[in-house]
Amino acid sequence: MTTTPVTDPQGVGEPQLAPEETVEVRRPDPWYRVVWSSSKARVGLVIVAVYVLVAIFAPLIAPHDPTNSDFVPLAGPSAENWLGTTTNGQDIASQLIHGTRISLLVGLFGGLLATAIALVIGMVSGYAEGTLLDDALTFLTNVALVIPVLPLIITLVAYSDTRGVPLIVAVIAITSWAGAARAKRAQIITLRNRDFVTASKFAGDRTLRIVFAEIMPNMTSLVAAGFVGAATGAIGAEAGLAILGLGDSGSVSWGTMLYQANAQGAIAQGLWIWVFVPGLVLGILITAMTFVNFGVDLLSNPHLRED
Amino acid sequence: MRYFARKVAFFLATLWAVVTLNFLIPRLQPGDPAEIMVKRLAGKDSQLDPAQVQAMRAMLGTPDGSLWSQYTGYLGELAHGNFGLSYTYYPFPVTEVIGQAIWWTVVLVVVTQVLSFAVGTVLGAYAAWRRNTRFDSVVTLGSTFLGTLQPFWIALLLIYLLGYTLGWFPTSGGYEAATPGFNGPFIQEAVSHSFLPALALLVVTPIGWVLGMRNTMIMNLGEDYIRLARAKGLPDRRIALGYAARNALLPSVTGFALALGGVLGGAILVETAFDYPGLGRLMGEAVENKDYPLLQTLMLLTTAGVLLANLVADLMYGVLDPRARRAQS
Amino acid sequence: MTTATSPDALLEVDGLSVRYEPKRNPSLTAVSDVSFSIRPGEFVGLIGESGSGKTTLGTALLRLLDRPARISEGSVRLDGTDITALSEDELRPLRWRDVSTVFQSSMNALNPVIRVEAQFRDVIEEHSGLRGDAVTERVRELFDMVMIDHRFIRAFPHELSGGMKQRVNLALALALEPKVVLLDEPTTGLDVVVQHSILENIRRLQREKGFAVLFISHDIGTVLDLSDRILVMYAGRIVEENDAASLLRDPMHPYTKGLLGSYSDPRAETVRITYVPGRLPDLTKDVTGCPFVARCPERISLCESVTPAFAPLAGGDVACHVARVQRGGEVDGLAAADVGEPTRRFAGPEFVKTAAESTEALTRPALLSVDSVGKTYERRRGLKVERTVAVDDVSFELRRGEVTALVGQSGSGKTTLARLITGVDKPSTGRIVFHGPDGEQEVAGFRGRALRGYRKHVQMVFQDPYSSLNPAKRIGQALERPLVNHHGLSGRALRDRVRELLETVALTPTERFVDRYPHELSGGQRQRVVIARALAAEPEIVIADEPISSLDVSIRAEILELLGSLVREHDMGILYITHDLLSARMLSDEVLVLNDGRVVERGPTLDVIRSPRDEYTRRLLDAVPNPFG
Repeated sequence: MTTTPVTDPQGVGEPQLAPEETVEVRRPDPWYRVVWSSSKARVGLVIVAVYVLVAIFAPLIAPHDPTNSDFVPLAGPSAENWLGTTTNGQDIASQLIHGTRISLLVGLFGGLLATAIALVIGMVSGYAEGTLLDDALTFLTNVALVIPVLPLIITLVAYSDTRGVPLIVAVIAITSWAGAARAKRAQIITLRNRDFVTASKFAGDRTLRIVFAEIMPNMTSLVAAGFVGAATGAIGAEAGLAILGLGDSGSVSWGTMLYQANAQGAIAQGLWIWVFVPGLVLGILITAMTFVNFGVDLLSNPHLRED
Repeated sequence: MRYFARKVAFFLATLWAVVTLNFLIPRLQPGDPAEIMVKRLAGKDSQLDPAQVQAMRAMLGTPDGSLWSQYTGYLGELAHGNFGLSYTYYPFPVTEVIGQAIWWTVVLVVVTQVLSFAVGTVLGAYAAWRRNTRFDSVVTLGSTFLGTLQPFWIALLLIYLLGYTLGWFPTSGGYEAATPGFNGPFIQEAVSHSFLPALALLVVTPIGWVLGMRNTMIMNLGEDYIRLARAKGLPDRRIALGYAARNALLPSVTGFALALGGVLGGAILVETAFDYPGLGRLMGEAVENKDYPLLQTLMLLTTAGVLLANLVADLMYGVLDPRARRAQS
Repeated sequence: MTTATSPDALLEVDGLSVRYEPKRNPSLTAVSDVSFSIRPGEFVGLIGESGSGKTTLGTALLRLLDRPARISEGSVRLDGTDITALSEDELRPLRWRDVSTVFQSSMNALNPVIRVEAQFRDVIEEHSGLRGDAVTERVRELFDMVMIDHRFIRAFPHELSGGMKQRVNLALALALEPKVVLLDEPTTGLDVVVQHSILENIRRLQREKGFAVLFISHDIGTVLDLSDRILVMYAGRIVEENDAASLLRDPMHPYTKGLLGSYSDPRAETVRITYVPGRLPDLTKDVTGCPFVARCPERISLCESVTPAFAPLAGGDVACHVARVQRGGEVDGLAAADVGEPTRRFAGPEFVKTAAESTEALTRPALLSVDSVGKTYERRRGLKVERTVAVDDVSFELRRGEVTALVGQSGSGKTTLARLITGVDKPSTGRIVFHGPDGEQEVAGFRGRALRGYRKHVQMVFQDPYSSLNPAKRIGQALERPLVNHHGLSGRALRDRVRELLETVALTPTERFVDRYPHELSGGQRQRVVIARALAAEPEIVIADEPISSLDVSIRAEILELLGSLVREHDMGILYITHDLLSARMLSDEVLVLNDGRVVERGPTLDVIRSPRDEYTRRLLDAVPNPFG
């Protein structure tokens, strides 16, 4: 509270009012601070950051070329081969490190593409609420929501002879946008009916500007949550495809490692490291991303915040 | 009543959309899957039944005829239950192959789904009620970590630990020597073979229920009607069960069917790992052998199953939540 | 301060303080050192603006505070038992049997998925021996008390209207014949006529059943109508306490005077209402001196440094140095000569409306003619088409330099008319003609570019200033849009014009507001930003849709005064939409009373208010709280 000098100390006549007050109110925390306030999200972000660094510098960190099969097959861990070798004489540690790249690439691009589809369909359908266009898009969303994702992805990929990362990313994205689209539609409907949107129309703004400059900035948290969720799902789906032998045949990922390990009977031969490690690093990455989403959930559900 | 009619209408419309999608997928591919299948099958046996060849052409697409006539042909074959021949299990028709596998998967998925729903919602509700306690963090962190693990990987670890190392359970197949049917030895074998696959699925599935239940319940606990219940001096148990948990359970009912799709995905991977004789393994085989008729039919069948479960859940929701009947009609 | 213990007190609050201690935000004392008592059967009003701590106090009395809030000091004695010292298990049997409540936003107070009867049954069975049909019988009695049809006993909450829900909540509060009922703004958000009847129902039941009431409200008019005794709360403290009649006759604290000043008799030739400008102090910082000092027109230098004690004076209690000295009390270092005579009037800003102004305004040329306009909405439900007549055969003219008020409850067609006039909807019958700079134009014909052009001339001020400003945009950005779009301003000219607009609505110094976000402003300040944005287009017509109904009563006049000055200084026409005849009297020259889409009464405002001819107008007039009548 400001204390202004009183110029008319005894006065009851003319009122001497303090100038217009603006109290220093704390802004609601910006979204990134809310996310960071969750200890789970902090742990998750740090772990994801480590994975990203490993992926970027994989050739520098990995001791060998992951496809090099010149080592003694079935070797145990050693200074040369940290985690031993496969039945084909490949270095498991190097495969593991290079595998990070595929998972993160699929996560990043799958997440971005799915979020973009969800954003366009959710925004258009929400802004056009009540029209035929909205009915059609809502139906499409609901259909996409109930179709089980993995069987559909498998069917789509199975027809294709060349299975590169782009195909996998595209298939994952077009099968997994529906939940996020529905959430965005719901939010845009509540935002669209706020008076500030009507006010923008009266201020002479056009529809596109209203949607993207007025409404969008209020949806950051939902979009962020949608992206993290979609990326997590994409990483899991890629692993599932690769395990069934539908992965990118040209590169090494954790899923293809598990596929190879199972196909070569790693368990029967007691090569448990070969099975154990890829699944573990995959589990840790997905856990870390789920932790990040704990933080993001705080944005949309303030009741979950810790004070 | 309008609510229920709407839900049935949505079910039928979605079913139509899925059937049509199933029609379009092979036709959007380069090349002609039907022709490839017929040639490969002919390589196995030149005496192909022309009716079956026609069924496969209708299912997977023929270059001749307008799209519309292909579509009506396709629907006709579907209506008669002709889905073509399996390449993997030649000369059996796809329907017969699936008919043998389906019960394995249905029992496995239903049992794990019901168990994980029960375990997950109870843990989630209790974690929300005892929010920010040690129990809460153990449950949320534990279920998060377990739920993010790859089911296939869990399956391999279970095979290694409980199968090979300890030798407690069989690790492959659905039964050994017994004759399939309703008899004691077979049921005993089937149960012991299903134990590890079910366990692998159970490790990963409760996460959705735990977190979903916990979050909605925490949201509900902040509502005015909970504050009023406290002001009314109702016992904590009554507030927790009768007010907060009951209301938080409602969204889980509709989530039940959607989660079924996820469990099916997990079942495909787990069945592959255990060589369990269900639909999932069949799908793995269909992928490996490019057995398109089998793959298409499996896709159609699993989707239809999830849709049906979704319909049941929606109808139940309408009975349980009086608001739903009005709000959406 | 501790007031003397009265032996017959039912509820006795002594030195109660409530602190909010969030983990990451600064902590604050929401209620500090509050003492008062309520006797059996007494109706006590607790009044203060939003943020004054009155709801926190109520929640503390019910012992329902959740983290991070907690009772930090003091006691609450119920029949001699200190409930702040009881464990949850010891407290549970007392809940609802002794103290019950109706919440502020009690639209959600009933569990949505359980039938109403079950929500009575659980609490009755928990605290009494009644079982089975005896409970049903009791629920019937309770429904009779609040005048609701018995068929709603078996209903789900969503099947009840807002007013009915509130009556059900009231019935629920009385289910166990409690000794004290705490009512926290129980009628907020309901229609005036419904509000009025619920409040009368409460007062009648209270007299019949003899329970005590603590009635929390921001509206001193309502509180004075109902209460025996009144507590005035400001910044977490009780600043004045007195019986209702004395408080009305001789308010001591300047804040009380400010609250009283927001009412006046609408029938008078000249109506004056005052308002309390500014906002509550920041409670996260230590308050030195009197917490009201920055907004107080009577303050003296002592108020800056010494916090006035809350102590008995002239039959009541007050915490004000000036009032104490004026009434012969003693304050260290202050003599009677230092302060003037006691006044009853709030010496702050004031808004005056005389009858003469209106007569002159009604002779001006028309800006907008509404000519037998009707609007029927059609909704398709399956194969049936439902028709709702929202507006039926309405005609009036809006003139330059004049304010026309549309008065009616929600559902009367006011908002539909606003939509028709702004071109959002097209009328089903009749015409709306705009007499603008480009000659006569029919509003229904505007589309696309023409509609945007028309909106340069017709702007809106909305009801809820919290939802009409984009929370993600700064004040400056909000004001720039209409300037860029309608006037093509940019660069320096744009910035200068934004400043001018802020000055026009008295948000000065302007540099302190340009870069603020809406949530940093008080409700009144936000509403002024909304008005500035409407002015930016330099419109001929402003449509103000309930612009004060979501603001505290004590600052409503501030917005009315601003709107009034726009008419005089900018020569525009205002269509003022409201449910409140007093504010219509303050602002408008002509009034149309709408009921069910039809105009039931029309005429110069003062004539309508002094001699209402329609029954519905009379009901609206009765609903205006009038402590002076």
